[in-house]
Amino acid sequence: MLGPTRISPQSGAAARPGANGLVLLRSLMQRVVVFVVLLVLMSLLPRLLPGDTLDVLMDSDVQRGLQDGEITDLRDRLGLGGSLVGQVGRDLARLAHGDLGYSLLHGAPVSYLLADALPWTALLIALATPIFLGLGVTLAVEAGRQPGTRADRLITTSMSLLASIPPFMTAVLLFLCFGILWPVLPIGGAEPLFPAATPLLRAQEILRHAFLPSLALALHEVVRYFFVLRGEAAVLSRRAFVLNGRSRGISGWRERRDYFGRNLLPVVCARLGQSVATLFTASLFVEVIFSYPGVGALTYHAVLDRDYPLLQGAIAVLALLVLGLTWLLDALTEILVRRG
Amino acid sequence: MRIALPMSRRSVRLLCVILVSILLLVLAAASDLIPAYQTSAATLQPPAHAYWLGTNDIGQSVLTGLLRAAPVTVGLALATAALALIIAIVMAGLAVIYPNRGRALVLHLTDMAEIVPSILLLLLVAAWHQPGALEIILLTAVLTWHDDVRILRSVLLREISRENITTVRHMGASWPYLLLRHILQAVTPTLIGLYLQNVVQATMRVAGLAFLGLTDADLLTWGSMLQDAINYLHTPAWQWLLLPPTLCLTGFLLLLLTLDQRQTQRAQSVDEAVS
Repeated sequence: MLGPTRISPQSGAAARPGANGLVLLRSLMQRVVVFVVLLVLMSLLPRLLPGDTLDVLMDSDVQRGLQDGEITDLRDRLGLGGSLVGQVGRDLARLAHGDLGYSLLHGAPVSYLLADALPWTALLIALATPIFLGLGVTLAVEAGRQPGTRADRLITTSMSLLASIPPFMTAVLLFLCFGILWPVLPIGGAEPLFPAATPLLRAQEILRHAFLPSLALALHEVVRYFFVLRGEAAVLSRRAFVLNGRSRGISGWRERRDYFGRNLLPVVCARLGQSVATLFTASLFVEVIFSYPGVGALTYHAVLDRDYPLLQGAIAVLALLVLGLTWLLDALTEILVRRG
Repeated sequence: MRIALPMSRRSVRLLCVILVSILLLVLAAASDLIPAYQTSAATLQPPAHAYWLGTNDIGQSVLTGLLRAAPVTVGLALATAALALIIAIVMAGLAVIYPNRGRALVLHLTDMAEIVPSILLLLLVAAWHQPGALEIILLTAVLTWHDDVRILRSVLLREISRENITTVRHMGASWPYLLLRHILQAVTPTLIGLYLQNVVQATMRVAGLAFLGLTDADLLTWGSMLQDAINYLHTPAWQWLLLPPTLCLTGFLLLLLTLDQRQTQRAQSVDEAVS
């Protein structure tokens, strides 16, 4: 979740071409299992706490002398009765029908709340992706094409420094520098209180608000990509075709793009799958720090407010998104590998 | 016979310094050498003679907080990383010893652990109740071990199929002897590397959880001090509330990353020297 320099073996990318379909099917099954386990946990954990919604409702100033039978009746009517297994089963059945429940705290169906928040998170991730891919690849090629030179040492050292600042602190420092000490950019919300009238101005405002949060997201990912790609580029720089190209006088932009950039592409693809999960995680921190109205901040406040219906809905939707997207990206990588 | 020390002398010395200073801090805290982390009337005081690093919003000295939080933060990370590594070693060992069923099961479990969106699990548990030290160690370790399994398994397989192992096996050596005298020595650099990476990972995770205010409120860590500081960004107080814990965390992580890099370089040069 928070470690930028972890170098783990890429899963799935090196499978035998013949076993592709099977591998994909297996990883899909694994994701289904993980998803169901998460759903069960999420329905089970709040119920293991003493007390339930009815206890809270009954614990008001109005004390009525209700019989035991009446309380059980009420509990059944509110859908809180029955055994633990029965309750969890009911929860899962409800979710399977696409009913995410109702948040009493927000006074709105959970699906509405999520539909409002998801586009903002998607915007942040969409803006951050080109930044971290571009910066990551450029810096890695620059450092790795001539390992050991001054440029390499300079870039690698500064990346190590960046890697040792916890990513949420990078976000806080950005917030502090460009929002408070030198207030040039907005640091709260996704839009001004009164949105601009014309669509163009409004888009401009939205981009200005999204700039710092997406930069914070991107910086978090740049470090992860840099160390892997630099290693790959350093290996490439010793390969015969690069030496050959250089001896024929190929240098500059062409060398960086055609000799390094293209050969780093598969590595980038293979890591994109992992990035989905880390980006969602990082977006939670970034949205909390910049009070951005995305799904991460929504989930976080649901935890603080003990708003279980919202928390459950958000976790179900997010888990589905993350698991589905990673699977899709794995499948894409697999297909690319098969094409060679 | 030893081919090489698993770490360079300087790295070993550095590690010793860290461990000794943690021990000293724990002893100092236990024997009241570090003053108690008490509230006082002097709230949000800038650094001065009475409070070297200033005070926070309820009048606690920041310096005392940093010193008292140090063994907790570092200790949590070290313990979590150790537990994760132990789980990974057991898993990798199972996969190597039982090449058929064990391997399939372990790889399945690893795959699944890899795809669990860890932040969602952490949020769920935190919403249930705020985890204390022991739960943080367990939870983080359970979310970290899968990173190590594949590497460990391949290293173990490589070592077991080496000639020296086969030769000594034929001479009648027992597995415990082999494990102690041959395999352990060859695997140690990998173990140290993985452990260091685990510590980095664990430090960041625990700090992140504390920063979100999702850990036990009584657990004083550098991350939870950051969580306190975040409300005072709009006042000058950030200078003494935010910067010291940030520098401590960053310094610790930088130290670990440097150790890790040096370790990797050393392992590479040893590899080249052997081959």
